[in-house]
Amino acid sequence: MRKYRTKLIVIAAAVLLALYFLYPTYKDYTLHSQMKSLRGADSVQFVEKNEQEIRENRAKRIKLGLDLQGGMRVVLEVNVLKLIEGLGKNKDEVFTRIMNDVREETKRSEESPVIIIRRKFEQEQIRMSRYFGSLRDDNDKVAGMLEDEAKKAIDRAIEIVGNRVDQYGVSEPSIQKLGGSRINVELPGVSKEAEVRQLLQGTALLEFKLLKDPEIAYRVMESVDRTLAATAAADSSDTSAVAAATGDTTKITTPEGEMNAEQFAKKHPFFTVALVNPQYPGEAMVAEENREKIRRWLERADVVRTIPDDMQFVWSAKPRILEGGKKFFTLFPVKATPELTGGVIVNARATLDPGFNQPIVTMEMNSDGARDWARITGANINKRIAIVLDNAVFSAPVVRGKITGGSSQIEGMDNLEEARLLEIVLKAGALPAPVDIIEQRSVGPSLGEDSIRNGIFSSVLATLLTILFMAVYYRTGGLVANVAVVFCLLFLMAVLAAFQGTLTLPGIAGIILTLAVAVDANVLIYERIREEQATGKTLRAAIDAGYEKAFTAIFDSNLTTFISGVILFQFGSGPIQGFALTLMIGIVASMFSAIFITRVIFNMLTDRPGATVSFG
Amino acid sequence: MRLFGKTNIDFMGRRRMWYMVSATVILIGMVSLITKGIDLGIDFLGGTELIVQFTHDVQIGDVRSAMDKIGFGKAEIKTFGSSRDILVRTVEQGEGTFVADKIRGALKEHFPTNPYSVLKEDKIGPKIGRELRQNALYAVIASLVAIWIYVAFRFKFAYGAGAVIALFHDVLVTLGLISIFDGVFNLEISQNMVAAFLTLVGLSVNDTVVIFDRMRENQKIFRTMPLKELMNKSLNETLSRTIITSGTIFIVLVVLLVFGGEVTRGFAFALTVGIITGTYSSIYLASAAVLEWAERSQKKTQLID
Repeated sequence: MRKYRTKLIVIAAAVLLALYFLYPTYKDYTLHSQMKSLRGADSVQFVEKNEQEIRENRAKRIKLGLDLQGGMRVVLEVNVLKLIEGLGKNKDEVFTRIMNDVREETKRSEESPVIIIRRKFEQEQIRMSRYFGSLRDDNDKVAGMLEDEAKKAIDRAIEIVGNRVDQYGVSEPSIQKLGGSRINVELPGVSKEAEVRQLLQGTALLEFKLLKDPEIAYRVMESVDRTLAATAAADSSDTSAVAAATGDTTKITTPEGEMNAEQFAKKHPFFTVALVNPQYPGEAMVAEENREKIRRWLERADVVRTIPDDMQFVWSAKPRILEGGKKFFTLFPVKATPELTGGVIVNARATLDPGFNQPIVTMEMNSDGARDWARITGANINKRIAIVLDNAVFSAPVVRGKITGGSSQIEGMDNLEEARLLEIVLKAGALPAPVDIIEQRSVGPSLGEDSIRNGIFSSVLATLLTILFMAVYYRTGGLVANVAVVFCLLFLMAVLAAFQGTLTLPGIAGIILTLAVAVDANVLIYERIREEQATGKTLRAAIDAGYEKAFTAIFDSNLTTFISGVILFQFGSGPIQGFALTLMIGIVASMFSAIFITRVIFNMLTDRPGATVSFG
Repeated sequence: MRLFGKTNIDFMGRRRMWYMVSATVILIGMVSLITKGIDLGIDFLGGTELIVQFTHDVQIGDVRSAMDKIGFGKAEIKTFGSSRDILVRTVEQGEGTFVADKIRGALKEHFPTNPYSVLKEDKIGPKIGRELRQNALYAVIASLVAIWIYVAFRFKFAYGAGAVIALFHDVLVTLGLISIFDGVFNLEISQNMVAAFLTLVGLSVNDTVVIFDRMRENQKIFRTMPLKELMNKSLNETLSRTIITSGTIFIVLVVLLVFGGEVTRGFAFALTVGIITGTYSSIYLASAAVLEWAERSQKKTQLID
């Protein structure tokens, strides 16, 4: 045994690591089955009690692809032509005619619309500056400006789409930039197509909303708190859940005297999770994990009745990260009617203030907007105005003074990144980022369930048949190979979990194939061992020679399969990449288990003098 | 247990006969490809595809007349697994989900007493279809080239060529059989099918490499043995492994083909055909191609210099 200590430690460490990565997947599965067995209020209570555990395990589990769990995948492309048409000024018949020509040509050509537009203008001998930019600009400058706008539009579109999907409440959405002008949106579990289309393609709504007076806002929150406490008292089980959620028993000093956390939670369910910001008493901070809970509360009919008609609660779009890495969202009480909408914004720019080296955003409005803006700012000095895009607050600056002339400056961003985001948001109101849906795939939940069932059944059956065959054909050797197959599957799943890989239907096929590849390595070795035994070598010598001679064949043949996998991963999309990924991980995992692990087992088996191992 | 004892089959001596067999199979496949063609799926054609599950069985003819009414007479309509599951595909393009909405509306109107649920709905714009087609082609070419380079690097140029010839053979045979058997199964060329082709390329070359590896080894030991004899010896020595491994993979794939469900059926079919032709071509074609090359160039082609 001692001889193999290092090797055994390596194997044990690999197995432990694999189990560590797979545990969340297992835990997520059990939590989910428990949740499914509960009904109505019980299930709500279960979710509230285990909210954190459920979320943590969800995040670390092996994710299922859309083809297995159902959902929608949409590829959006920024319509550069539409965007440019929107940018044009003094549009006349000539402009419309040229744009129509360009539209026809883009359907056939692979060239960028800006290049086509420029060519058309040059053919007609019209300066582009007649419609774009300022009159003195030459075509190079205008074309550069248009390309730049097209590039910015994709970021704007990603921000708008991301923000809306977040508001819509899809769990685990994925929004990614694909190449230069495309966005890949994956929405697991969503099947309402019309709604999603609206979500992705509708025009963004930017509003300026005045924050409610802190005192009034606090009073409303108090009455929300009272309403919640009243229903909680009526339903005592609910309170215990809330109390358990807070978990600690530190004393809290309140105007009503001292009480422990449990009592406080019972009396003030709302303020337990919504912490009033001492700097701005009007707004509340909510830890990320409690956001859903508050959202649910604020939609309850009895709670809605306690909120005045002219007031609404709006969430911040991004969380603030406080010490300890905890994420907090801000709940802003705002006036329901906006003071101004974003259509009046002409331009926005994020820069560094040269004087103080601070990031700032400058915002220009048209003359109508500027007039209103002067009135609004003048009447609300030292009050805060929230910048709201599609119902999420991106910033809530304080009005320092009356702003005339339409040019405003927003300060107080932590970094230039944040300022850039605000620039994108401000522009989104005025300059739409028109997107087309160029690919849309949706899989209904029932087909996904069928696929999972079929996939699991055929995997299990294939595994059993292979294991049975190996044991019959190679006897002890076959049993050892089967151990390797099981380890190989374990490692494959663990690596998938560790890299946050996604399991797709072709991915399951990849796993089944991996099994075959793992078996192949052992077949190569055993056939070789049998040959060596036939030449009269001792068991130990035959095993050593078998492993040694089979290695180059295993390595070369696996590498060629691996090459196919790499190429598939490069060219494929979605589910295919899932297949390529499992195939590649499987090849590496199978080499480790089929060569390294089995070798250690055989060496241990043949250590005793006179030991026999049957290779069938 | 042993299925194969020591064999002594003259593989290389009868290679001309197998050339004829391969040529015939490929020819039949080509005839089917030309006359019957191949079913390009939505991934490559673009358009809209809808798979719906009705509560009760429906007739394809009824679905077709529903499609005729909305002007989608050219739409492809077939069952998908059971006769309750219907696949409708049209290359028609429209804004957003316009086409799918129309199809769903027509089905609802035509089968008022037989409600359905949508299992799958895909819409592929014309641009994407073109790109996916291009990517698939690049992927297949890139993998063939990469494998050629790798095998040529590990062995010799002629061996790389032999491996790639065998792969071409496998791809052509599988394409032909897909064309012939389309209709018995749903065998449309989708992205999944391209993945199946790349995998069968990987598995086929895997066999070939194992055989080449044995030749390389034997060449070091039997330095004076003529190439033909050496190849026969190596093929016989690896035969047991080749059959056992391919047999296991074959069993696994048949399980996937029968129990894997409708979605992976085409994929499993291509791989099942591929593992048979891949094993055959590794034995009869890849090495034979190297032998032909060596005999033509009248030189003693050695694996190692």
